[in-house]
Amino acid sequence: MRTVAGALLVAAAAAAWPAPARAQDSVFGIRGLGFLDTGVSPRSAGLGGGDAILDGESTVNPAAIASWTETTGWAAGSASSRSFEDASLRSTRFPLFGLTAQAGPRLVVAVTASDYLDRNWSVAQTDSGTPVDSTLVVSDLTRSLGGVTDVRFAAAYRLTGLALGAGLHVLTGSAETTVLRQFTSDSAFLPFSDQSITSYRGVAASFGAVASPLPQFVLGASVRVSGRMRAEAPDTTTNVPMPVEVHAGASVQPMAGLGLDATVGWANWSRSSAALVAAGQAGARDAWSVAVGAGLSVLRLGRRAIPLRFGYEWRQLPFLIPDTSGALALSEHAVTFGFGFTAAGGRATVDVAEQWGARVAGPLRETFATTQVGLTVRP
Amino acid sequence: MARTSVWRSAAAAAVLALGCTENIAAPASCPGLCPSGNVVLADTLLTAPITSDTSVRGYVLVREAGYLLTSTMDSLKAVTLIQFSRLLDTVWYPTIGTQTDTAYIGHTDSVVVFIHVDQRDTSVHNLKLLVYRLPANFDTGATYASIAPYFTDSTLMDTVAVPDTLQAGDTLSLHIANNLTIPPADTNVISIGIAMTAPSPSAFSMQSGAPLTSTTAPFLYYYVHAKAPLDTVTKEFSVEPFFSTFVMSPAPGPPPSGVLTIGGIPTARATMYLSLPEVAVDSTHIVRATLLLNTLHPASGFASDSFYIIAQPVVRDYGPKSVLYPDSSVSGDVVLHEGQSGQVSLDIAPILRFWGTTVGDSTPRLIMLRAYPEGSVLGSVDFQGAGTGPGSPQLKVTYVKPYHFGAP
Repeated sequence: MRTVAGALLVAAAAAAWPAPARAQDSVFGIRGLGFLDTGVSPRSAGLGGGDAILDGESTVNPAAIASWTETTGWAAGSASSRSFEDASLRSTRFPLFGLTAQAGPRLVVAVTASDYLDRNWSVAQTDSGTPVDSTLVVSDLTRSLGGVTDVRFAAAYRLTGLALGAGLHVLTGSAETTVLRQFTSDSAFLPFSDQSITSYRGVAASFGAVASPLPQFVLGASVRVSGRMRAEAPDTTTNVPMPVEVHAGASVQPMAGLGLDATVGWANWSRSSAALVAAGQAGARDAWSVAVGAGLSVLRLGRRAIPLRFGYEWRQLPFLIPDTSGALALSEHAVTFGFGFTAAGGRATVDVAEQWGARVAGPLRETFATTQVGLTVRP
Repeated sequence: MARTSVWRSAAAAAVLALGCTENIAAPASCPGLCPSGNVVLADTLLTAPITSDTSVRGYVLVREAGYLLTSTMDSLKAVTLIQFSRLLDTVWYPTIGTQTDTAYIGHTDSVVVFIHVDQRDTSVHNLKLLVYRLPANFDTGATYASIAPYFTDSTLMDTVAVPDTLQAGDTLSLHIANNLTIPPADTNVISIGIAMTAPSPSAFSMQSGAPLTSTTAPFLYYYVHAKAPLDTVTKEFSVEPFFSTFVMSPAPGPPPSGVLTIGGIPTARATMYLSLPEVAVDSTHIVRATLLLNTLHPASGFASDSFYIIAQPVVRDYGPKSVLYPDSSVSGDVVLHEGQSGQVSLDIAPILRFWGTTVGDSTPRLIMLRAYPEGSVLGSVDFQGAGTGPGSPQLKVTYVKPYHFGAP
């Protein structure tokens, strides 16, 4: 009992952490609606997101929560270090929280909060010129903090060899953008700062299914339909049509101790493009994603199994990057490794995932390494 | 076992907590990863920003000044007047061997005044200070003309050559007498006057110790021998100034109309009401606001000296006794050098920003200009006031045009 209480304490502490729930940042979050997150749990991230369509902690498929058979809570933290040009960047986020409970013998309900669009970025610029009557050296720091959180209320129903699920998504959040100009060459000029808060809200619905036609073979599919997301700033309001997102995947266990997973996704973000262009952005494109992973259950420490996970993910990011020659398309790829272990007498699970990858848009390249830690508690 | 598992779980959370250091500022890579907005500066010149102005003299009086002046300059002649406190302690109790005895002043060996140099024109050599005996209870309201008769050879007590190496802060001793006779009517009070001579017009000031008498004030020392049979016992007594001042010719009068007079002694301040458009009163968008003032004649003061002019907002307009906003960060200042003339730029952007805040919004658009440190510098300057033609004060405001953050 004391063990369970301790695990709950750890979970509560993580959930109460004051930092906003945001996934890993990217310098590319400055464009479009922000940097698109995946809603993938650390456990699934170790597999590159290959089993995200079947993972009950991930937010890809509402039917996947049917895998939970008891009240469960989970939380994830993510520490990211990135390199862009000469800059080394670091950030820590808490991108995913969730709680599920049994509402009946076959009915499972869950609520999750996950990052959807990350708008944490900061750009430092130095310039010189003669904007008025004297030559000035100025340094500008423009910073955005915030983003859009996807709060999902989901329910799944278990049938024999099949689970069906549905989710109602509320997109909510805000981003505070601050600009600070300092006149480093002339103390007679006072620093200038201004800020603006853009609030976001929208709704979406998702539907999914998980089927197990064969004993060692599981299929999953989901579709998410969104309305318009309203972005409201003090001086302007923009309604951005959000995409239809489709995911499908499978998991197979060809032999004992080995699992192979794959998930493919597509979203028609191009329907957002016109609104983004009208708002001065470079537009958006339809985006594909592919994730594959392999899990090995061969390592044991004492009586404790330590699953090892390997994966690879590639995805297109929807928002285009303006360039002198037009617009650049952004893509991301990463190799992943992860492991997990149980604690608290089996009442808690800790999953760790490490990602190494790069995001590339023409000549612009950001490399990253991300460590994700997830804690799942079954009190 | 269970406790170990909890600790491992806690350790995982701690790793996350400790990792919460942020560094997300990336270099700009334009146009791809640059903010959509631009900071654009603009200038505007307000040619008649002042609706009314006035100058008032008398904020720091001569007797409250931080210095005592002597001067032989053509433009300003001055002598210092000091009345020392009464010597009350004429008895002391020296210990001779193992016995404590009572001693009385037998005779005075010498009387010396120690002064601390405040400022002098180091380009003038062979400067001398002349110490005169004044009536013990001279008229504290004396003028330069009324006190002049006491500065004669018959009252001259000492002439002290000022070493050319003497600098501000150094101490100089003025020997008054060996065996000074103090008439009973003076009740042990000594008053002196200090003047100066130099090969060329110059000025010399000593620290007055004001506003509170401090150790840098002129002190009078009596070096005495005791009466017999203790006539081998010596003692020194010191007395501080009871009143000190200096008188000038010509004495500064009230500032004329249409002139913004700042500084001098008694000190003068200028106040001016500003009429500003909305763009000039904003809490964030003003980055520079420069008040352009034109001197009527070169700034005066000690040769090669400089002083500050500081502008502060007035929070309550009570005329000459208006209340200034005490926050030193809400002010503007500029350094003026003796002899400086022409246009002077005084940055007052913090004051305009203050008027754009909720605290400053209800305060009058009134600023007060004064010398700094007020009462401790001789420097003075006259600027053209409002409505006096092409040289009237102007205000140049540099601001940032509205920044377009955009959405989403």
